[in-house]
Formats: sequence, C-alpha cells, structure tokens
Amino acid sequence: MNQNRMADKHVADVDDFSDPLSNYEPAVYGSELERSLAEETVDAILSKPYVQIDASTPISIAMQTLHRLNVSSLLVVEAGVLVGIFTERDVLERVSEQYELWEELPVRLVMTAKPLVVYECDPVGTALAAIAAAGYRHVPVLSMSDEIVGIVSPRRVFEFLESRFD
Amino acid sequence: MSIEFNVGEDTVRSLPLREAISVTPNTILRAAVARMRATRLGCAVVVDMESKPIGIFTERSLLGALLQHVSLDSRVVGDFLDSAFVMIKNCEPISRVWDAIQRERARFICVTDDDGKLVGLTGQKGLAEYVTDFFPGQVVGQRLGCKPWMQHREGA
Repeated sequence: MNQNRMADKHVADVDDFSDPLSNYEPAVYGSELERSLAEETVDAILSKPYVQIDASTPISIAMQTLHRLNVSSLLVVEAGVLVGIFTERDVLERVSEQYELWEELPVRLVMTAKPLVVYECDPVGTALAAIAAAGYRHVPVLSMSDEIVGIVSPRRVFEFLESRFD
Repeated sequence: MSIEFNVGEDTVRSLPLREAISVTPNTILRAAVARMRATRLGCAVVVDMESKPIGIFTERSLLGALLQHVSLDSRVVGDFLDSAFVMIKNCEPISRVWDAIQRERARFICVTDDDGKLVGLTGQKGLAEYVTDFFPGQVVGQRLGCKPWMQHREGA
C-alpha cells in the first residue's frame, strides 16, 4: 500500500518536471571580439616561446639571459615547479642600487615569488584583466596540473585581439 | 562603435596618460634610477632645453649598463638610451600607439603636444586599459589567481 503511494508520488514528480534550462538564453555579444574575450580560453593566445631558469641561477647570469635573449622576463622554477618570475622590474627595484653585492647570489632572492598566474582554460578576458586591472606585464600560463604552458604579455594579448577584429 | 573603429578615430588624448619622469642627457644614472624606483615607472624620458623628448632611458637600458659594471654615480643616462624610442602627438589616433607597440616593439611611448613638448607617457598598460573600457563585463569581473572551477566539476 505504502509502496504504491510512493510510486504514484514518483509519477506525479515526473509529470511536474520542467527543464531548468528551458528559460536559458544564450549570451549575446556585441562583436566577435567580445565573444572571444568571454568564450575563448587563454590557450588561444600565443604563450610561447618563454624562457625559464632555475631558482639557484646567479643573478648576473639571469640578467645576462634577459639581455642576450632580448626578453623582459624569465620564469623561475625549482624542481620543475614555477616558484617565481624575474623581470626587468626586479632588476630596477631590487638589484640596481647594489649590483656588485647581488650579482653572484641566487635569483630566488630577488625574483617576484608566487606570481599571479592564469590557467590555460581561463577565459581570454582573465589575461587582459591581469595586465590592465592588476597591472602585471608578464603573466605565466599554467595547465590545470600546474605545469608551465607559457607566458602572456600585453603584446601577445594585443596580437590575439587583432586576429579577432571584425 | 567597435573598438576597431574607435582605435582609428579616438586620439591619444583618450588614453590614460602617466606623468613622465623628465631627465636631461647629463642626469647621473643613480639619480634617474632613484626617481624611477620612487614613482614605480620603468623609464625616464630624456628631454632637451625646451622639454622636447630626445630619447628614453628604460629598465632595459639600466640592465645593459649594470652588465657593463658601470658606476651609477659616474655615468649619465645619455650614454645608455634605449633604441625603442617612440614619440607620438596627442592629436594622433590611438592606432599609432597600437602600431608602435605591435610593430615597433615599443613598451613606452612619449606623448607630446602640438609643439612637440612632453605631456605624458603611455604604452602597453595604457592601451590595455583602453581596451578594457570597451569590455568591462568580460575583463573587470574576472577572478584572478584562482584555479578554474571546471576542474572540480569534471566527473561530478
């Protein structure tokens, strides 16, 4: 008797069911670019090449690498894991006034530790937010398993935007 | 209007300009570096007697100087100018800035008035902020530094 009542209740529930997505209205974008920012992911932005060094690298070698390769930033790794980023700004802020004292010390002492990162499956808008809103020029890109994928810079983001201009 | 259209129509005046550090070619390196650090700016604009830009000293210039082991107290910025020096009038379209950044690989751009006098500085960050203003909903609201939640939904 009780089982029959439960079965009836179940049938009634099924009849009452309404698709929660029936009112779903897909996002409407004003342009292809706006759609790209919202729906495309960071892996659509060129994030290679990038240069990485070990955290124990002497500061002088790290600076020579920046200079020789004509790049503005180096990803700093320890046991294959991203631990920081070393940029021209770090040279200005932390090294410049007393370079002679610092040059043989490891770069981990002057790098920017735990840098802001974006993930390759983040929306493209996230990379732009990191640059425009948070003010970082070089943002490492990680995979969901925290492996280094590359680095995005303003120039690379603008290149992506250009490719999506109508 | 689309951003593609506006970039060609809006002038550099529409960009967020930063106050530039002005130095002369004879400014001692240490003094220029101290001002760059104090203002957290990656360059100092070298101007002539009429405040017209004639070069730029950047973090890259500093890097080159340090690697030569020069004394910051005895050398001047005029000896270490950056080759990526771009000057644009504030009445020119923003597309000029865009091209300078993308094609000429400029990071900083000296903005001048009609007389060629320095009025400010823009560059990659200024352009990024300009773009953001077009798409605030897609950029400003983003959560930064958080692992995307999709990972946790997998297999749910």
